[in-house]
Parts: sequence; structure tokens; C-alpha cells
Amino acid sequence: MDRKKATVAAAAVGALAGAVGLTVLAMPSGAGAAPVLPPVNPEQLVQSVLSQKEIPALGGTVEGKTNLGIPAIPNLPQELSGMSAKVWSDGTGKSRVSTSKTGSEKIAVNDGTTAWSYDSSTKVVTKHTYDKSKAPKERPSELNDPAAAAKQIIDVIRPNSSISVDGTASVAGRDAYELVLAPAPTERTLLREVRIAVDAEKRIPLRVVVLANGSSDPVAQFGFTKLDIGAQDPKLFTFTPPAGAKVEDSTGKFKDFENSHREEFEKNRKPGETPKLPDNDLFKVIGEGWDTTVAGRLPKQDQLPKNDPKNDKAQGQNPMDLVKQFGTKVEGPWGKGYLITTKVGTGLLTEDGRFAAGAVPSQVLIEAIGTVK
Amino acid sequence: MTTASIASPQLLERTPRAPLGRLLGAELRWVLRRPRTLAAFGVLALVPLGLGLLMSMMDFGAAPLQGPPVLASLLGNGMVLPLAAMGMAMPLLMPMIVSMTAADAIAGESSHGTLRGLLIAPIGRTRLVVVKAVGVAAVTALAVAVLALLGITAGVAFTGTTEFTSLSGTSLTFMEGIGRVGVAAAWVWLQMFAVAAVALALSSLTDHPLVVLAVMMGTLIVFAVLGGIGDLSWLHPVLLTTGWMSVIDVIRDPMESTALVESSVRALCYIVIGLSATIARMATKDS
Repeated sequence: MDRKKATVAAAAVGALAGAVGLTVLAMPSGAGAAPVLPPVNPEQLVQSVLSQKEIPALGGTVEGKTNLGIPAIPNLPQELSGMSAKVWSDGTGKSRVSTSKTGSEKIAVNDGTTAWSYDSSTKVVTKHTYDKSKAPKERPSELNDPAAAAKQIIDVIRPNSSISVDGTASVAGRDAYELVLAPAPTERTLLREVRIAVDAEKRIPLRVVVLANGSSDPVAQFGFTKLDIGAQDPKLFTFTPPAGAKVEDSTGKFKDFENSHREEFEKNRKPGETPKLPDNDLFKVIGEGWDTTVAGRLPKQDQLPKNDPKNDKAQGQNPMDLVKQFGTKVEGPWGKGYLITTKVGTGLLTEDGRFAAGAVPSQVLIEAIGTVK
Repeated sequence: MTTASIASPQLLERTPRAPLGRLLGAELRWVLRRPRTLAAFGVLALVPLGLGLLMSMMDFGAAPLQGPPVLASLLGNGMVLPLAAMGMAMPLLMPMIVSMTAADAIAGESSHGTLRGLLIAPIGRTRLVVVKAVGVAAVTALAVAVLALLGITAGVAFTGTTEFTSLSGTSLTFMEGIGRVGVAAAWVWLQMFAVAAVALALSSLTDHPLVVLAVMMGTLIVFAVLGGIGDLSWLHPVLLTTGWMSVIDVIRDPMESTALVESSVRALCYIVIGLSATIARMATKDS
């Protein structure tokens, strides 16, 4: 019967259409074709980014993804492997950030005079009122001139890295330049390059991608996946604590903390000197550029938090136990220890409590650990 | 139901087709009067009522809440109750009810021997599938309505407030709340009708209603397991169950629609596939 055949044919087409629809859903949204943009040199690009005083009015989604190759350690915060947040800015300093989990949401709103945060799973609101007049308005003088600041930044980067504008990209539907920082060939590092996508029109960074040697997939990626630059609903930048929520005012507390640290910092700082990291046997920085390592000695075992069976949170764990569990045992003339390797960095902890870490292969760490007394 | 007249082929050609309205009316009366359908609605009604009771009991203790974060936002928040009820009924209870209805619709008739009558009745096979699908869709809609309406009533009754707070901490009016619950109900209906469409296709393949129920529930459980395996993330967009947790997105402010829209598209694909397969099978079925 013709009619029967026609029905079956129509149904087959329908089923096929449904299957095609599902396939389209499963297709990864491929990157758009690289846009054609007027050429720009890295100095100009960095300078134009630095001359942006305020984040423009925008609304979008920021996603971060890492693939660090870290051993699976229980209780490690989930944020390490991936995060997603919706962000809004009105272009005058007011902002809203919202991070969603299944069934709950955390938001942070800055309405210009008060910073609010709210967690729907605990129903706790914290507010922090700040006085705009007391906030440091002026940037440090070096940063007031973007051209000089750009030159300064590039001068710091140049000796150890190559900096270039390597083509263009389409990020969250916007045209962007790709600013690429790569270690100089003499640098002994696990990292291959860092790519920063800069919006061609607004000159704001849209995406940062970190690539390591031996892998074409990024080890870390952070940037906009959706972006709408333009005026946003002003309602987004206000917050009223909902009924039934507990409001905690952190205004006083935060200020005290801030002031005490600032005083201490000012006391230790000599005029005209940039602050330096402490350099002693407990903690020191070895080398410069991409193969910088930090090394030092852990506090004595008895000062470390003991493993409390009642508290199974990671912060209560003794780092030595954790390293023994996940590291590989290594030994050499420098002593015995445990090595933790990831795609972006290596850490070494010896049995007598010396440590070294950096974005470097293990040989560099072994050299570094020898300098720790 | 329509009785088939055994007439000569010439007479059959001239017989006017049974009006669709009457067929639909008969099907709906038949489906909705079925005791097991009514029993299913009764079980569904227990979900919002139980949640409401649980919520009012939790209100007594001031201790911090243990359990899913959604339950925390339930406290003093009536409008979350219908959504939590839908969220709880979605993984198993609702699919079971719609699969049961879809199994009865074709395989059930087949096992009772009444399908033969329908197949030789003066209705096109496609129209028969449409009538059956509408019956299942109506049961699905009523099931969702039970959850939504009882959920709103219980939420307002147990919290004593008609205002509600979105997950983002903003206050929404009662009418906005009703609107959000409405969006959620429509979305849940679409997802459940997708289950029903696939169950109808299974139903047209077998004479045993229980097989439909077993295969359907088995499939959904396998989907849920696959959906939990991170290494299979490339497969997840194809699984019907993937976006099912996103019902709670309707009470974010502004409403977060990405996951809802994507899962709706997915459900539509399943509906098209399920109904097409049913039509193809019914068109070729021997009476």
C-alpha cells in the first residue's frame, strides 16, 4: 500500500531528524574562524590594556578549567578542576558575581558603597560597608602612565621570555588578539606558553590559556565563554537581604585586619623600595623567570597539626602524610624524599622537612634543595 | 470504544472516518478513569505533602541543616516546595507513571486483545498513535499539575508566607513565583513526555506492558549511571537524563535558562524519535 509506505518513510525521516538533533547537541561548539584584525605589536597591545581604567559595562559567563594532572587527593576543593561564574559589571565599579551549584548559589554584589555576599545553602548574608573617600584612589605613580608601565612590564618579561602577538582568535563571540608569552629556550620549565586573548575593541583580557610541554590540551584555561558588552539591568547591582537570612556585618572586622596589615607593611617598607619576599632558610626564592623555584624548610613536626580522626578535612592533615600517600619516593646525595609531579609543576619534600617547588622538572628541584641548610 | 463493523470493502471506503474529537474524548475518559492512574496521582500527591511536613518539622530545630542544599532554601520559602517536589519525583516516580500509562496505551491493549479492534476500526494508524499520545500526554500533564498545585498550596500553608526568595537572594512576588513554577512545570512535562514517547515506541513493539516498564526504567537507570561517569562527558549531551537537575534554575534571578533550553531541545529530539518509531511500527503492524 502506497499510503503505508509514505507513513513509514515520513516516520523514518522524523526519527532521523531527531537523531541528527541529538548529534548536533553532542557536537562541541567549535572555535570560530580567526578574525582578520589590523596588526599590532606587543608593546602597543599591553599599553592599550593598561590604559583601561575601569572594566566596561558587561555581563557574561566566566569559566575556568584545569587539567593539571594532580594526583586525586580527597577533600581537594572542587574549584581546582573547574569553575563557572556569571559576572556583571555596570562600568562604574558596581559588580555582581554569581556561582551556581546544583541547588544552591553564592552571590557577591558590590553596589558602590557596600559589598554583599550571600550563600543560599546557609542563608547567611555578609555585608561590608566601605568608605569610598578612604580607599586609595590613586594608582601607584608608575601605573598612571600606561606607556611607561607597559614598557616596564615588558622589560621585566623580555630577558627570560619571548613576547609576541600570535594571530587572532574569536573568544565568546568577540574578536581578540592573542598575546603569547613563551619561555626563552634557556629556561628549564615545564610550561610551553601562556596565551592571553585581548579584546580587539575594548582591550580587556578575555581568556588566559596555559600550555605545558608535551600536551596540546591546555593545562589551565580561564576566560569568558559568553560575553555581552553593554549596559546591564541596574537591578543586578543592588542587594536587599532576603527575609529569614542571617546578616553578618563584617565592616569593622575587615577594616581592623586591613589596617593592622597595612601598618606592618608600611613599617617594614623603606621608601622607594619594592617589597621583597623574605629570604632565609625557612623560605627562599631561587632563580628568576620561568624556572624560579621556592625552597625552604617546614616547621618542626610537633608544630604541625596532628591528624585528628574527628576532623577529616584536608586542612587538618599533616602535609608529610599526604605527600607520602601521593608522592613517589626518590633519593640521592641530597637525601631522601617524595616527589609529586603534575603537568605544570613539581614539588619535592624530603624526610627531614626540606621542600622545593616550581614549574620546573625534578632535576632543577634537586639542585634547589641542595641549597637549603 | 468504537466497534468495528465488518463490512464489505466497498462500504468501508465510503464509511466516514470517526471524528478525532470523539476519539480523543473516549481515550481520555478511558485513561483517566483507570484506577491505577488515580492511584498514581495519589502517590504523587504524597511527595509535596511529605516535603511540607518535613520542612515544618525541620523548622523546629535551630541546628544547621544537613542534606541537599535545596532543602535549606526550603525553610521559610514556600515556592521552592513545588520545585523540590518536581525534582524529587523526576528521576524515578514520574517516569514510572508515564511509562506505565504508555505501556497500557498500546501493549496493554494488545495483551487484552483489544488492540485488534482499534486497528480494524475506521481510524488511520497515525491518528490512532496521535490519540494514544494525547492520552499519555494528558496523564503526564495532570501528574505535573498535581505536583505543582499541591506543592504551591502546601508551600504556602506550611510557611505561611506568599513571598519567596530566589536562590540568588532576591525577593520575588507571589505572582512571579507562580510564573516560575509554571515554567518549571512546562519543562518537567516536556521531559516526561519525552520518556512517554520512547515508552510508546517500546509499547508498540511488544504485547507485554511489563516489558515496556522494565526496559524504560532500566534505560533511565543506565542513563543516570553513564551521566555520572566523567570520562563519558562526550556522551552526556545525548542522554535524556542529563539536564534533569536544572529544574532548580528557574528560581535563580535572573533565570538561568541555558540548561533548561538545552534539555528542552534534547527532550524534543526524543519525542520526535519516539513518536516516529511508534507511527512506523503501528503502520506496519498486522491486525
